[in-house]
Amino acid sequence: MKMITEVLIIGGGATGVGIARDLSWRGIPSILIEKGDFASGASGRNHGLLHSGGRYAVTDPGAARECMAENRILRKIAPHCIEETDGLFVSLPEDGFDYRERFLRACDEVGIQTALLSRDETLELEPELDPNLLSAVKVPDGSIDPFVLILENARDAEEHGAKILLHTEMTSLILDGDKIKEVGAKDLGGGEEYTIKASYIVNATGAWANQFLKLAGLQIGMALSKGSMLITNQRLTHHVINRCRPPSDGDIVVPNHTVSILGTTSVRLEEVENFEVTPHEVSLLIQETSKLVPAIQEARLIRAYAGIRPLFQSETKEDDRAISRGFVLIDHGERDGIKNLITITGGKLVTYRLMAEKTSDLLCKKMGMHTPCSTHLKALPKANRPTGLTEKLKQFSFERVETLCDCELTSRKEVEEFLKTDKLKDLQDILHRTRLAKGSCQGGFCVYRLLGVLHDLRRINGNSNEFLKKFLEERWKGIRPILWGPAVKEEELMEGIYKGIFNL
Amino acid sequence: MKDGPMKKQSWPKKNVDVCIRCATCMAVCPVSRVTSKFPGPKQAGPGAERFRRMGEPSVDDWIDLCIGCHLCDMVCSSGVNISELNLLAKAKYLDEKGRPFRDWLLTHSYLYGWVGSFLSPFVNFLFRNSMIRWVGEAILKIDRRRKLPDYEPSTFRQWFKKHRSQVHQIKEGDHPPFKKKGKEGFEHHFMERKKVGYFYGCYMNTNEVDVGRATVQVLEVNGFEVILPLQKCCGIPMLGNGNFKGARKMACYNVPSLLKTIVSGSDIIFSSTSCGHMIKHEYSHLLSIPRADEVALHLFDIFEFLRNLKELNGLDTHFKELPLKAAYFAPCHLRALGIGLPALEILRLIPGLTLDNIEADCCGMGGTFGFKKEKYEISEEIGRDLAEVIDRLKPEIILSDCEGCRMQIRHLTGLKVSHPIQILRDALLPETKFTL
Ligand SMILES: Cc1cc2nc3c(=O)[nH]c(=O)nc-3n(C[C@H](O)[C@H](O)[C@H](O)COP(=O)(O)OP(=O)(O)OC[C@H]3O[C@@H](n4cnc5c(N)ncnc54)[C@H](O)[C@@H]3O)c2cc1C
Ligand code: SF4
Ligand code: SF4
Repeated sequence: MKMITEVLIIGGGATGVGIARDLSWRGIPSILIEKGDFASGASGRNHGLLHSGGRYAVTDPGAARECMAENRILRKIAPHCIEETDGLFVSLPEDGFDYRERFLRACDEVGIQTALLSRDETLELEPELDPNLLSAVKVPDGSIDPFVLILENARDAEEHGAKILLHTEMTSLILDGDKIKEVGAKDLGGGEEYTIKASYIVNATGAWANQFLKLAGLQIGMALSKGSMLITNQRLTHHVINRCRPPSDGDIVVPNHTVSILGTTSVRLEEVENFEVTPHEVSLLIQETSKLVPAIQEARLIRAYAGIRPLFQSETKEDDRAISRGFVLIDHGERDGIKNLITITGGKLVTYRLMAEKTSDLLCKKMGMHTPCSTHLKALPKANRPTGLTEKLKQFSFERVETLCDCELTSRKEVEEFLKTDKLKDLQDILHRTRLAKGSCQGGFCVYRLLGVLHDLRRINGNSNEFLKKFLEERWKGIRPILWGPAVKEEELMEGIYKGIFNL
Repeated sequence: MKDGPMKKQSWPKKNVDVCIRCATCMAVCPVSRVTSKFPGPKQAGPGAERFRRMGEPSVDDWIDLCIGCHLCDMVCSSGVNISELNLLAKAKYLDEKGRPFRDWLLTHSYLYGWVGSFLSPFVNFLFRNSMIRWVGEAILKIDRRRKLPDYEPSTFRQWFKKHRSQVHQIKEGDHPPFKKKGKEGFEHHFMERKKVGYFYGCYMNTNEVDVGRATVQVLEVNGFEVILPLQKCCGIPMLGNGNFKGARKMACYNVPSLLKTIVSGSDIIFSSTSCGHMIKHEYSHLLSIPRADEVALHLFDIFEFLRNLKELNGLDTHFKELPLKAAYFAPCHLRALGIGLPALEILRLIPGLTLDNIEADCCGMGGTFGFKKEKYEISEEIGRDLAEVIDRLKPEIILSDCEGCRMQIRHLTGLKVSHPIQILRDALLPETKFTL
């Protein structure tokens, strides 16, 4: 099939989807293609920290400033994706006060509001913290649900004219002089091939940026760094907890819905696919984060996962310290003479909107347009599913509708609504769109119930074992690194169910 | 021990993490079996716990429906303290919502029970009056279909006092009060008899005096001298209504007093399994009362105590023939004690007595639960299984160790219901001479 559009965006992470939305509000048509589901890259594999910028205040004031500004905007335009938890930068006895002082000064300069809390005040707020702590600095961190954020951006973009193709991979580029003439893509589900002609092409493939550019014979100076995270069965704290020291491994605990996310590590990688969380990372994370929250030593973990961050060598300086967590926006017309190609990568989830704004501004400039950005003013369409935990429990209490996922209280109704409205190509995607299978048993019990619903709705035909198998393989990947204690018991039970009852 | 808001340190550990979601507990919960309003132990306990947030108001109003039977705890494959999680959540919910005056009335009978006894003919008349019951339902939301228990004209304490003085008189006249029963005579050593403390519980004191009488008589026949340590209500009615503060107050009174008896060399027995379970388990585990664990070591169910005695060949088993068809129901709290069914073991020694064990889970009374208008139907529905089994067995009399169960069974079947110790006493004493 042939398609023509103004802007073709490759990559359905926060950045790509944000660009689609931004352009749609400026009235510029676009097509977005994503090889997996939304958020299958780094956007779905991070802590979900709504940065205040505190983590970069000392080392990268520019990035910190951006975070703070975007943090304020997101609270306005996407309040239902955000938990306003605030964050604490906790000083432990071994950390001393040196860094804290630098930190307070840096925050002040960057414009991050802080409040210094005594030990007692801190423990009052967060009784699970190590009682030996010295003090804590409160900053406006928060927690953000990347899945909801991205889905809502996508919905809004589509409502304003953007077209989105999921499970569609860009496979080839045809260059014509100083321009990319057309792009070849393939529907990974149905196998259909597309050729897409576009005036401009945006490479928003995150860590895959160089794989994309390779097709055009280009390359940018980029390193890959894996960060691993662990999920606890229960929410351990209500604030985001950071260690008040220069950023390093295992220094953050982010509350997220029913769970807490422990992060993170930083391991250089050569390849962007096929990575795993290693046992060493698991012990390191537990060891370090439990210094902040001792209960982590005994807490049950339900999953381990990792994401890949692209890190950039500044193109001028060759100093490793110059690697920035800020984003890079490259006009390949200026850099390499390919006039209609732009690469946007790096950055943060929190700065996705800003990245989209700058990219769209650049596109407008190239098009000679003067339509200003409006995404910082326009709120995302409010999702109608309950947000907070209390809300969720309340809904469960009042409605008492059929529950598919006991752990996360996901109702059949919620799942069916997605199945009705979304043209899902891959049924696994339902797991990205609800909290189904994100709780204690990691889908052990609800996925076969889901299968029943899919059958009822005639959405699954042929081999449903395939569906279960694929799901279980994915699940196993997340569970294997943390398999001890109650998790082993749980797995024995699951094995019994799936092997014994379902004969898998 | 300081009262006031509970500090984090004094909460029992919430071991939600060990739940493997197996749903075994769902199979036994009597409440979720009869009403879909209650989501069952897996969801109400470890499930909902993941959603509850410190500092946010409770929204799970169904938590109040957990009857506190501990059946879920007993079957849990992973040792989750489900009923405790429920109780803590319930306490929070009720703290926020406020407790009706009715709950205060139902849980503080120890304060006014003596008035009931004093004015028993009048009070009992009132309790039977349908007009009064109607008013009770309209104003207090105490279900009018539920008959309130009768008060006895004199309390157990009063009886005991009189009994002691008579025993002493006889002793002084050198007539031991008990006949020699063949074994080593103990009547000559009356003053050296081993003492055993009795935690009798407030309900028995004012409403079922004969249970206490029988307990004392059986112990005396077996060569013990019964003493009554100073005691107040064990606090279980309050705890069951999520009032930790009130329950703790009771516990803080009872523990030092019971310890005093224990330190002086006596064990303590109880005839109400609910009181016993409360003191033995909840005092130390749930309420973190200092030294409650020491009390627990020396606290025994009356039949457990008698069974121990039997194992040491010290139990008087000269029972007379008792041609009676009885059925025994083991209260949830007894099962939660994990001591087997000692009453059944001992009573089966009585010649002539046919004794069936009633295989049903929970009677549905749940202490004060069944009195409440909004829960009456659930309570009755839970008890239906039990009533059906009884109907099949057709016993002349039903025996159960817990006053709540006895009340419910009477209500459901209209049959005679006793404490097993009363039957044992009847089989042990040749005549009613000692039933003063
Ligand atoms: C461990 C870790 C923790 C982090 N924590 C935080 C945090 O707490 N807060 C925060 O704000 N940020 C955090 N980040 C950063 C944040 O996750 C990323 O900056 C952000 O998600 C990047 O989004 P993106 O859309 O640019 O890239 P991605 O989300 O990676 O999206 C790229 C997409 O392109 C698709 N793609 C690639 N190649 C092709 C192709 N050929 N055809 C079609 N599609 C293709 C991929 O499938 C992918 O979905 C973290 C990152 C990591 C790695
Ligand atoms: S204590 Fe009894 S009523 Fe409460 S959840 Fe457990 S089984 Fe159900
Ligand atoms: S029986 Fe225990 S482990 Fe199983 S679901 Fe119930 S609480 Fe969880």
